[in-house]
This record gives sequence, structure tokens and C-alpha cells, in this order.
Amino acid sequence: MKEKLDLDEIIVKYRPILSFRIRKYLGHQNPDWEDVVNEIITNVIEKIKKREFRGESSIGTFIYTISSRRIVDYIRQKSKTLKHFPEPKTFPAPEQEFENKERAEKLAEAIKKLKPKYRKVLHLYYYKGLSRNEVAEKLGISTRRVSERVDYAQKLLRKLIKK
Amino acid sequence: MKKCKFDDLIDSYLLNKLEREERENFEEHYFNCQRCFEKMVGREELMNVVKNKGQMIFADEERQEEKKEVLFIEKILSFLTPRQWAYAAVSVALVLIVLLNVVPLLKKTPQPPFFLDLDKEERIRGESISLISPVIDIKTVPSQFMWAPLGNDVEYKISIYFNHQPFWTNTTKENTISLPEDVKNRMEASRKYSWQVKAFSPQGILLAVSPKVQFKITSCK
Repeated sequence: MKEKLDLDEIIVKYRPILSFRIRKYLGHQNPDWEDVVNEIITNVIEKIKKREFRGESSIGTFIYTISSRRIVDYIRQKSKTLKHFPEPKTFPAPEQEFENKERAEKLAEAIKKLKPKYRKVLHLYYYKGLSRNEVAEKLGISTRRVSERVDYAQKLLRKLIKK
Repeated sequence: MKKCKFDDLIDSYLLNKLEREERENFEEHYFNCQRCFEKMVGREELMNVVKNKGQMIFADEERQEEKKEVLFIEKILSFLTPRQWAYAAVSVALVLIVLLNVVPLLKKTPQPPFFLDLDKEERIRGESISLISPVIDIKTVPSQFMWAPLGNDVEYKISIYFNHQPFWTNTTKENTISLPEDVKNRMEASRKYSWQVKAFSPQGILLAVSPKVQFKITSCK
């Protein structure tokens, strides 16, 4: 029971982290990411059950290492497949797409409500694509202050979209 | 809350600006640091929204920037009235025309052309020759005439005049010449003579002429 509980916890905790990394490597619109994540989780559970995880590293590092191997395998396999088949079309789940869209709308509205000093930093840094140094120079503040404003803006936005 | 040392890598990671080793270290880190992972997820969402909806979100900022640019141009334009701008433009054009025409001339001929009047009818363009001696009244008949040299391969023609009539003439490649005894004997005291030197190229082209300088022999030899 203890092992079962741990495994559930592991799945709940690491699925989003794994999904994030896999999607970054495979491409956000690539429909394969979910299968790859499931394969890795199955693999992790099997290894834990077979006591291959001996606690020499953290469980996070253990899962990270397995995911790295799977990413390499996937890329190798994909480059072979691509020689004969075209890239599959993307098909994000409709409900997920709707949820993301709604959240993006909320976040956009929340950014509009921020104080100008935070908006200015986000505008120059993320929209205009200036470097932190360039933003600092343009606004007459230090680069450290630029990072602090981005961090603080993120915190405020988190609060605003929770409302 | 204490800041994580990986905090500053979040943006670079999302923008794919990290080197392989740095990227893998950071990835391993966020598998072990829930706080960094959550922050990164939020940051990525923020980046995507700004990227996709930035035009709508930052419409005011964009307008302000445009306005700033327009104001800057207007500020420059309002510095002068349209009429003054027209005058300024014409003045600048004139100055440019003058400069464009004068500068090449200045480069080609660093000195203005030199004209020398040989007499009332004749005027030549060229360098001048400075006569060294005699140039003032002298006590005895001069035995030597000297002038400033012009350079190599120049032939000088010296002429001595009395009463505006040629008295004696000779040529030399030196910048000095001695008067022959018979000429010296012909020269008399209390008389005014003048002399002049002309320089010629080996092809016989007149290069330079000295002014006609008068001298008087105050006593006899």
C-alpha cells in the first residue's frame, strides 16, 4: 500500500514536469508527446517495482535520466520514420484547447490591468524582444530591477487570474 | 522568499538560449525543484500570451512609442517655421554647391595662379623669381648677379637694361652669373640700370619671370 501510494504521488507530481520537458523537445504541437510521457511513467513505475531505483540519486534525477534516454530514442526513431512518412498532423484535444484559450484571455486582461511600470517591462522584454540590459538602459533601472519587476508582475498576474 | 540560483536561467531556457550542459543541468534541477518548475510554467504562459496577444495588450504602449517618435520629428520641424526651413534648405544647397566646386579646385591648385605683367601688353602666368643681388644702389659695378634657384633642368636668361633698352644678355643653368670684363667696362657710374631673369624649361617653355629691378652705380670702378 505504501509503495502504491508513493507511485501515485510520483505520477501526480512528475507527470506535469515530464510533459513540460517532452513537449519542449518534441514540439508543442506534436501529438506524440502524451504517448512518450505515458511510456516514461510506465517505465519509471516498472523500474521502481523491480527495485532498480536504489535511492542513490533523488527520484527527480532518476526520472529525468529516464526521460533523457527516451527523448534520444524518440528523435532517432523519428528521423528514421521521417524518411518514409510525412510529419503527422497536429490535433490538440478540443477541450484542452478551449481551456488554454480561456486562460490566455484571462491572462491578457490581467496584464492590461497591471501598473505601467510592470507593463513597460513586459512590453519591452517579451513583446519587443529586448535583452534585459537593453530594457534596463531604456527604463533607466538596473538589470536586477528588471528581473525583479518581471518576477513581481508574474506574482501579481497569478493572483489576478485566480480571482 | 529566498531566490533560487537557477532563477535567472528560466527565461534563457524558454528562449532556447542555454548551452547544452547548462540546459541539462537546469532540466535536472527543475525535476527536483517544484518552485522553479512552477515559476517556469507560469513564465512560459506569460511569454506565449504576450507573444500572441501583445498587439492588443500593449496597444497603448505602442501608440505612445509612435507618438514619441512623431513628437520628436515634430519637435525638430517646429524648431523653424516652414519659410525658415525653406531658406535653410536653399542656404545648405548653396553652401554644398560652393563647397563641391571649390574643394576640388583647392586640392588641385593649392596656390592661386600667379600672373606677372612683363610690360603693358604682355602678361604671363607662372612662378616668380626672386632676385638676390644687386637690388639696391651699389658703389661699384657689380661683378656677379644672383637670384633664387627654381630647380634642376632650368635655364635662366639674364638681361640687363639701360634706358629700357637691352644692354647685355646671357644664359646659364646656375642661379648666379659673373659679368664679363668688357661689359663691366661699359657700365658707368651714376647711371641707372635694371635687370631681369627669366627661367625656361629644357623644351624652351617660359616657366617664371622675375620683376625688373633697378640699381644705380654710385661711384666708378
